Amino acid sequence: MREVSVIGAGMVRFGKQPDKTLAEIAWPAVKQAIDDSGVAKSDIGAAWCGTALGGMMSGQRVLKAIGLTGLPIVNVENACSSSSSAFREAWIAVASGLYDVALVIGVEKLTRFGGGTLPLEREDFEVAHGMVMPALYGMRAKRYMHDYGLTAEQLAGVAVKAHDHGALNADAQYRNRITVDEVMAARPIADPFTLLHCCPSGDGAAALVIAADSVASRYSSKPIRVLASELASGKYLTGYRDMTTPEITVRGAKEAYEMAGVGPEDVDVAEVHDAFTIAELLYYEALGFCERGDAARLLEDGETSLGGRIPVNPSGGLLSKGHPVGATGAAQMVEIVRQLRGECDERQVDGAKVGLTHCTGGGISGFDHGACSIHVFCN
Amino acid sequence: MAETVHAEPPLIAGEAVRVGEDGRPTLIGSVCSDCATRVFPPVPLCPECMREDMAQVALGRSGRLYSYCTVHVAPRGWSVPYIAGYVDLPEGVRVFTHVVDAAEEQLSMEMEVELTTAVLGNDADGEAFSSYAFRPRRPEGDDA
Repeated sequence: MREVSVIGAGMVRFGKQPDKTLAEIAWPAVKQAIDDSGVAKSDIGAAWCGTALGGMMSGQRVLKAIGLTGLPIVNVENACSSSSSAFREAWIAVASGLYDVALVIGVEKLTRFGGGTLPLEREDFEVAHGMVMPALYGMRAKRYMHDYGLTAEQLAGVAVKAHDHGALNADAQYRNRITVDEVMAARPIADPFTLLHCCPSGDGAAALVIAADSVASRYSSKPIRVLASELASGKYLTGYRDMTTPEITVRGAKEAYEMAGVGPEDVDVAEVHDAFTIAELLYYEALGFCERGDAARLLEDGETSLGGRIPVNPSGGLLSKGHPVGATGAAQMVEIVRQLRGECDERQVDGAKVGLTHCTGGGISGFDHGACSIHVFCN
Repeated sequence: MAETVHAEPPLIAGEAVRVGEDGRPTLIGSVCSDCATRVFPPVPLCPECMREDMAQVALGRSGRLYSYCTVHVAPRGWSVPYIAGYVDLPEGVRVFTHVVDAAEEQLSMEMEVELTTAVLGNDADGEAFSSYAFRPRRPEGDDA
């Protein structure tokens, strides 16, 4: 396999854009990524478009707008991991030598569904019995609180940190800082979560151009190397499962670190899938940033805040930057690429050399998560 | 097996629950005749060994509450708030359920819960629907 680097990154600010089509939301991100990369349209060998709910031929609809057609376009659906899974497919194709340059798109328009919880697959038995994503994460939170003594106030601290970071990101859906009291007093969604414990619904897009290292330097003076590109599916279990540790992430992180040749102690900055406050704490532990049961201390000590030992979600994460499902994985990578290039101004993690993205999701019964994709990058 | 009598309003769980003549519900799972894997709800194919020799079995009526939370926001049709939970049955099967006849403050992790049925919401035509649910286990003979 050949070494592969990201040479272009682009995204649009996440938010509610009900009057725009999916293509209108996405093309500015794609154009920004291509312009950033320096490649000509004709250099792009193939494109992968991740979207969970964007509908048929999403990639073609987007790329028609910028006149990039005729090449192979593959649409990828893997719930919240759609565009991180799309990235992996593009990485495989470039690493294997099939193409020198490839395009990855993540896009979603959730405003087409109105408000409320994310629409899940109704054929699923648990969904048909009233399972919603906040309830699934709420049960994880309640069990973790029982087993490890986590308090609701500590949990609210995750949202406060997310908004502190998001306030510094022009692409974030929410740029307001919030307090623990405001989190606690917000409208209840699923115990122990209020609205501010939950990622917002919204629209958005992000895109990346990747290239084989043999050609990357032709285009970019700051290629960001892909050290690991990992994808796992959840393990179906019919019985007991420990909901305080996300098995799919633990397993995926082990694979990703082995592939990258680095360990959690080497990671300078990470973007993790904080769909709900509890999720970020579970992922600190699953990704090896701290021991089991130690996540709240890591947060409270400021180790995962900007300026701390391992800043997590400097972009604001899903909680503050937003979570247009299929766009999230690509947007996490855009943030890490910009961090590793030193382009993040006020929210720059000083001297960041190794960055990690973690994107997982899928509300179907019997699985921890349906899919999880972890990537490691270095400058 | 007692003859199935459908409670009113109708149950939405399909073949996963049966109600006996005494009105008591039973959850139905599948057990693989070859490798003994147990599954809820019932399926025709063993997800462990791929044999198509699954027998339907009645599952225990009580289990332990693994976790739970009160849900305030749900798709149209569900009566909110409701308490969602996971119950581990003695057969080693975990069941997603609504927890009824108790406020969240009355629940605790690993408490014993027992099977019942409950009205859970209204369908698109406004008709009430019900399904299986669990409630805190009551002393024997207390059917109130």
